[in-house]
Amino acid sequence: MAASPFTSRSPSMTVASPNTLRLRASAAQNGVVGATQASSTPTLNAGQELTEQLNADVRQRYVKDKKLGEGTYAVVYLGHLREDPSSFVAIKKIKVNAEYKDGLTMDAIREVKYLQELSHPNVIALHDVFSSKDQNLNLVLEFLPRGDLEMLIKDGDIQYGAADIKAWMGMLIRGVWFCHENFVLHRDIKPNNLLIASDGEVKLADFGLARSFADPYLNMTHQVITRWYRPPELLYGARQYSGAVDVWSMGMVFAELLLRVPFVAGNTDLDQISKISDAFGTPAEENWPGVTQLPNYIPTDPAHAVPLQGRDFFLRQFPTAGPVGADLLMSMCALDPRKRTTAYQALCHNWWTMDPQPTRNEDLPRKMGTKKMGDDLSRRGGDDDGPFKNAARQLDFGAMK
Amino acid sequence: MIEDDIYRTSSQFRLWSYTEASLKELRAKTNAIASERARTAIRRAPSAQPSATSSAAGTPQPGSDGETKKTEEKAKEIDCLTPEEELVFVRYYCEKTLELGETYKPPLPTMVRATAIQYLRRFYLTNSPMTHHPKSIMACALFLATKTDNYYMSLRQFAEGIPGNTTAEEVISPEFLIMQGLRFTFDVRHPFRGLEGGIMELSAIAQGQAPPAPHLPNQSPQQLLQQIQSIAPPPVACSSIADRIARAHGTTRETLKSAAQMTDAYFLYTPSQIWLSAFLLADRPLAEFYLDTKLGGPLTQTTSTDQSDLQNPLYELRVKLLNVLTECSALLNSYTPLSSDPDQMKGLKRIAKKLFYCQNPEGKGTKRDSAQSQAVAAAAATDSGQVTSESESERLAKKRKLELEQKLKTNGSDIFGPELATGRPKE
Repeated sequence: MAASPFTSRSPSMTVASPNTLRLRASAAQNGVVGATQASSTPTLNAGQELTEQLNADVRQRYVKDKKLGEGTYAVVYLGHLREDPSSFVAIKKIKVNAEYKDGLTMDAIREVKYLQELSHPNVIALHDVFSSKDQNLNLVLEFLPRGDLEMLIKDGDIQYGAADIKAWMGMLIRGVWFCHENFVLHRDIKPNNLLIASDGEVKLADFGLARSFADPYLNMTHQVITRWYRPPELLYGARQYSGAVDVWSMGMVFAELLLRVPFVAGNTDLDQISKISDAFGTPAEENWPGVTQLPNYIPTDPAHAVPLQGRDFFLRQFPTAGPVGADLLMSMCALDPRKRTTAYQALCHNWWTMDPQPTRNEDLPRKMGTKKMGDDLSRRGGDDDGPFKNAARQLDFGAMK
Repeated sequence: MIEDDIYRTSSQFRLWSYTEASLKELRAKTNAIASERARTAIRRAPSAQPSATSSAAGTPQPGSDGETKKTEEKAKEIDCLTPEEELVFVRYYCEKTLELGETYKPPLPTMVRATAIQYLRRFYLTNSPMTHHPKSIMACALFLATKTDNYYMSLRQFAEGIPGNTTAEEVISPEFLIMQGLRFTFDVRHPFRGLEGGIMELSAIAQGQAPPAPHLPNQSPQQLLQQIQSIAPPPVACSSIADRIARAHGTTRETLKSAAQMTDAYFLYTPSQIWLSAFLLADRPLAEFYLDTKLGGPLTQTTSTDQSDLQNPLYELRVKLLNVLTECSALLNSYTPLSSDPDQMKGLKRIAKKLFYCQNPEGKGTKRDSAQSQAVAAAAATDSGQVTSESESERLAKKRKLELEQKLKTNGSDIFGPELATGRPKE
């Protein structure tokens, strides 16, 4: 299955036993967590049930440092491994939500559930989860100090080109390919959920809307994905959909990286549909068999129908991508989800092997913070300048919903 | 990455897969810790325990009013549950979880119930029923499973569906405790999808539409169709091959819903091993044929064309696989539902009675916990002057007394409570 653009590595694992605590490979790789496998066998402690001892073992491995930020549902701290003060982690403490009476919220459950299963260089690593007093849930996440793609897109002082976009898109699609390979839909891909590690690697974060593929014929909700990145089938209320929804979102991120503004930015769901129609063509039975049967389909006045856009349009609209890059973008933006490319097919596209080659991680443009918060903390060997302005905000996934 | 590699990254493999020996060892350790804690706690409770025994069960038990020395001696004699008894007791509540899921309209999906049962089984690897009674854990585990398996219903709606008058508060209160016991892993890999895939493959073969396996290019759809039509007859006579596949499918599904859930199958085997083992039990010739389509038919130890006695790698694989499947089949086959077996029910009643005397009175996080602390707080409020001067042991004694009163009150109306004590299995 492995094709050239994939750099997936098998994560380091320990013997499957709850007595053995694990660390994800991606952690060690970044030098964030420099510890070896701590296979701490809990001693018989009559004061605590075995389950509590196991939890305490995990908790004691980390030290919380300063608070990085606070949102409605979570507080994010900078932390480190007790035995290695130079290691960094982000500890996201989820607040018990008094308004939500039904226990732990769905987005916290989803985030923990899927991040526990996904281990890939382009997916944010969840190193550990532990509970602290007063039943607080603490997620020990990979520390990603270099902001997100949205900050780079919006920063007029930063210049970047096709080679940089190729590098970023490659990392994004590999991460999403891995999720789909594990039968997980992300359902909220957008530039500010794409965080950047100190070594420049792009990481897919915020799994608060993720879910595993439904069994055939089972319905899912269409109320997912931030509007500007939401594909037409969801806007039309489709209840059965596939990884194609994430591919559309990636297409929108691709377009936005090229244009440096969101490509189709509707003010309402209806407006979003009409902007998509204006840009790519009006969805109709000819270009998308079955579309008129979707629950929220709205017929367009034939007089105003826009024909399906071809290659020329994409070339004209996105000259930076070059003809082959525009072709890849077009395949990701097919209106009919069945005709849309898959993450795997996108990785097999020949744009990746063409010039320009993707920029190496260490040479990728980075955000120069005006305010270098905790500059000393983010700086490490080989990492000369790593401002993490806004680090708290990006890590604070919970505040978004 | 191949499928096996992906499975090895799952939390089910990393944290919840064991050998028989390591599973036994872990349960023994959990039991040892919990027994010690229960004894210590009971020793600390000079008045509460005897009063509870005399008033609640009506079983004669020499009262030892407040005399610490006597109580201590008694505590030493406290007969705690063995790991085996704990396991039987938990299994009973796993069966109850299936029934509870059935009471909803519409019934909760099989997947949700199966997830909840695995949550219970995982939880009780590092927790003891002596500390946390399964009846308060099971409803919450089921509700948690509706959340993690995308079957949305509100807590209120869920609580209303429980027979009796369990409140939403009572359902949700052990949620965090359960999540901690699950080590914050919510994903359970079930064997159901694998079974569906295998059935689809067999149906395609039966319709003469099966593509050859990538590593066995000389298979042809016609050949496969011929082979499936000429396998040994099924255990029960069937009108057609399609009928045979459908029957095997149904029988296997039932095994996966029951025996696979109630035994240690998930801890010891992978989802595909589990469904193939259940399939072997349902229709052995059909299951073996299915394996042949993957492994290239009955094999000899050495490749026949080769004189140099080269080991045939598929042969070794097949022998290994069959050993594992045979073991797993035996495990699945050993299962009899407790409620359908009078002998087992008798044993269960004995365990329930035993548990009554060795239940840790300081068990935390169960549904009694919040009510109990409220009761203590209320009691404290009435004579606030004394609270600070009260010694720790007096305070604990008061807390336990209130707790037991609370417990008795709840038991009267709780469907999961009295039923066991009176030994009347729920229909």
